[in-house]
Amino acid sequence: MVILREGICPGINEDFIKALQSEDIRTVEDFVSCNPEELAKKCSLSYKALVAVRRVLLAQCTAFPVSGADLYEELLSSTAILSTGSPSLDKLLDSGLYTGEITELIGSPGSGKTQVCFSVAVNMSHQLKQTVFYIDTRGGVCANRLLQMLQTRTPNMEEQMEALQKIKVFRVFDVFSLLACLQNLRSNGLQKASVGGGSVKALMVDSVSAVLSSMLGGKQNEGMSLLMQVAGEMKMIAKDFNIAVLVTNHVTKDGNGHLKAGLGQSWSHVPRTRVLLQRVENAETPSLRTATLTKSSRQACHLVEEFDLCHWSEERSASISGKRKLESSKP
Amino acid sequence: MHRTVPSLPLAPSVKVKLINAGFQVASDLIDMRPLQLCKEAGISQEEAVEVLQMLRDDAQPHQQRAATESVTALDLLHQEQSLGSIVTFCSGLDNVLGGGVPVGKTTEICGAPGVGKTQLCMQLAVDVQIPVCFGGLGGKALYVDTEGSFLVQRVADMAKAAVQHCTLLAEDTEQKQALEELTVEKILSNLFLVRCHDYVELLAEVYLLPDFLSEHPEVRLIVIDSIAFPFRHDFEDLSQRTRLLNGLAQQLIQLATQHSLAVVLTNQMTTRVSNGQSKLVPALGESWGHAATQRLILHWEGLRRLASLYKSPSQMEATIQYQITVQGFRDATDEPRHASPSENYSKRPRMEDLS
Repeated sequence: MVILREGICPGINEDFIKALQSEDIRTVEDFVSCNPEELAKKCSLSYKALVAVRRVLLAQCTAFPVSGADLYEELLSSTAILSTGSPSLDKLLDSGLYTGEITELIGSPGSGKTQVCFSVAVNMSHQLKQTVFYIDTRGGVCANRLLQMLQTRTPNMEEQMEALQKIKVFRVFDVFSLLACLQNLRSNGLQKASVGGGSVKALMVDSVSAVLSSMLGGKQNEGMSLLMQVAGEMKMIAKDFNIAVLVTNHVTKDGNGHLKAGLGQSWSHVPRTRVLLQRVENAETPSLRTATLTKSSRQACHLVEEFDLCHWSEERSASISGKRKLESSKP
Repeated sequence: MHRTVPSLPLAPSVKVKLINAGFQVASDLIDMRPLQLCKEAGISQEEAVEVLQMLRDDAQPHQQRAATESVTALDLLHQEQSLGSIVTFCSGLDNVLGGGVPVGKTTEICGAPGVGKTQLCMQLAVDVQIPVCFGGLGGKALYVDTEGSFLVQRVADMAKAAVQHCTLLAEDTEQKQALEELTVEKILSNLFLVRCHDYVELLAEVYLLPDFLSEHPEVRLIVIDSIAFPFRHDFEDLSQRTRLLNGLAQQLIQLATQHSLAVVLTNQMTTRVSNGQSKLVPALGESWGHAATQRLILHWEGLRRLASLYKSPSQMEATIQYQITVQGFRDATDEPRHASPSENYSKRPRMEDLS
């Protein structure tokens, strides 16, 4: 609902608005849903002026349909696929993180979600030379660890410092600050970053459940609304700026004892792709993890890949995958 | 101001009235006078004043800045290097933790009864006060006791041992000067103790902490021993418990980051039965496992006490042995053990190893 104010279109001035307010018409919706003839009689405003203003407002506020062919062209020219740096994870995600989409990582504590986010951020800033925005809600960002990861990729100090400068960290600890941060990014943060020389292609939020889970449930009636606002902001950022958004979430157990993503049913529709991370039981190295694809619009679900947190860029030779026969029937 | 009205931290009823009146973005509201807003939106005058105050004069300038300004990872690296960590006097544990308990993060210590959680907490409360020239932080400590297990005599013993340790190390004049001020009385006077009897008192205390910390900016450590106890008995609504704990965790990490201090929480253990086997796991549920930044699990293996780093953003998982002596929390010394398995004179039952 847009409030009627002077200047939203030529022809609307202070007296015009006052006359309309006396008839209890405050917003654009109220205005266009009224009959201009009746309004002209009641408010003693000229019929021609009312019709002209109505036409301009309708033209300004209407949504225009776009043809599928145009959309497809736009998608082909603007979507980029960003490699995560780990061949196993790339295989799972169908060659990497897609811009314009939200990808979700879920796992129990200690399963490696933050480490995967770090590895992806380091890969993007060092290999792909892109700026990465990292929103940290749990205080888990450890610049020493990022430096450690960079040191395994290159011994050159300058390159390491340059890559570290491309990772920008926001530390917000409650949902209102998170919304403020996302809205600020959408309105001017991202444009500033792309003007400054580097292009931004990735946004990470670790983790979204830490700020939202305390607002949901019980007698609180605002939680769902805030959850949807966060989802809306992230989707708009992903679509408008062609950015890949990576979020982390916790797991809960459903009725049968299987692991599912936290934050409930409503949130589960928000990300396009979902990967479940788990520790490998009784593994030789404690840094082995398995990644299972649990939601994807591109590949068959329940593909499993194994990878090592310490050796990010190496391919694991023994990868277990379920339902291989489905892969051959993929177009 | 690009904030949309639904995302502002206001009461839901006020927001509904504002949205119905047509206000969508914060910039619509910012130029209004309270009386005007009151009439247009149909809210009371106090609410109108509150709304405008919230928009104009940031009551939380720090948070506002954090939301709009980013820090590059390079600056973060410099910050981390200047923050330091609190030593535990057990070199094995310090190595596993990467120098000690990190400042600016929350660390959770879980363990079965009697394994040494409170001892470690008391040791940390003494160690945070070691002067900067000896490699410590020279800060004060706040100890929130919910179980009633804090013993001043034990802290006095640990403080005496710490002072003796520093006396042996003192070499140059700066250290000798700092040593003159470091006495057991001074250490005890820099330790603030709060006793909370139930979860409401604990929540209230955490809520009041920002004011306390602005009055005492030298506090570098907050210990809550234990956070499990008030939430485990007498709580009927488990989902409310999870919500409260999550909210608490976020408040604590915010304090840790904003005021540059280390937060240490103690947790208890519970038994989980699955597939006919029972395992000891940390209490307070699955989602609490995500709350702390680092998790340390203390457990028994026969007669030995072991500490395992289970979850950390920067360190690898590892297990080391430690022991509790008269002087406090120390490294385990390798003494030849003559006790055969049949002579098990410890009264503690054998616990299963944590996988």
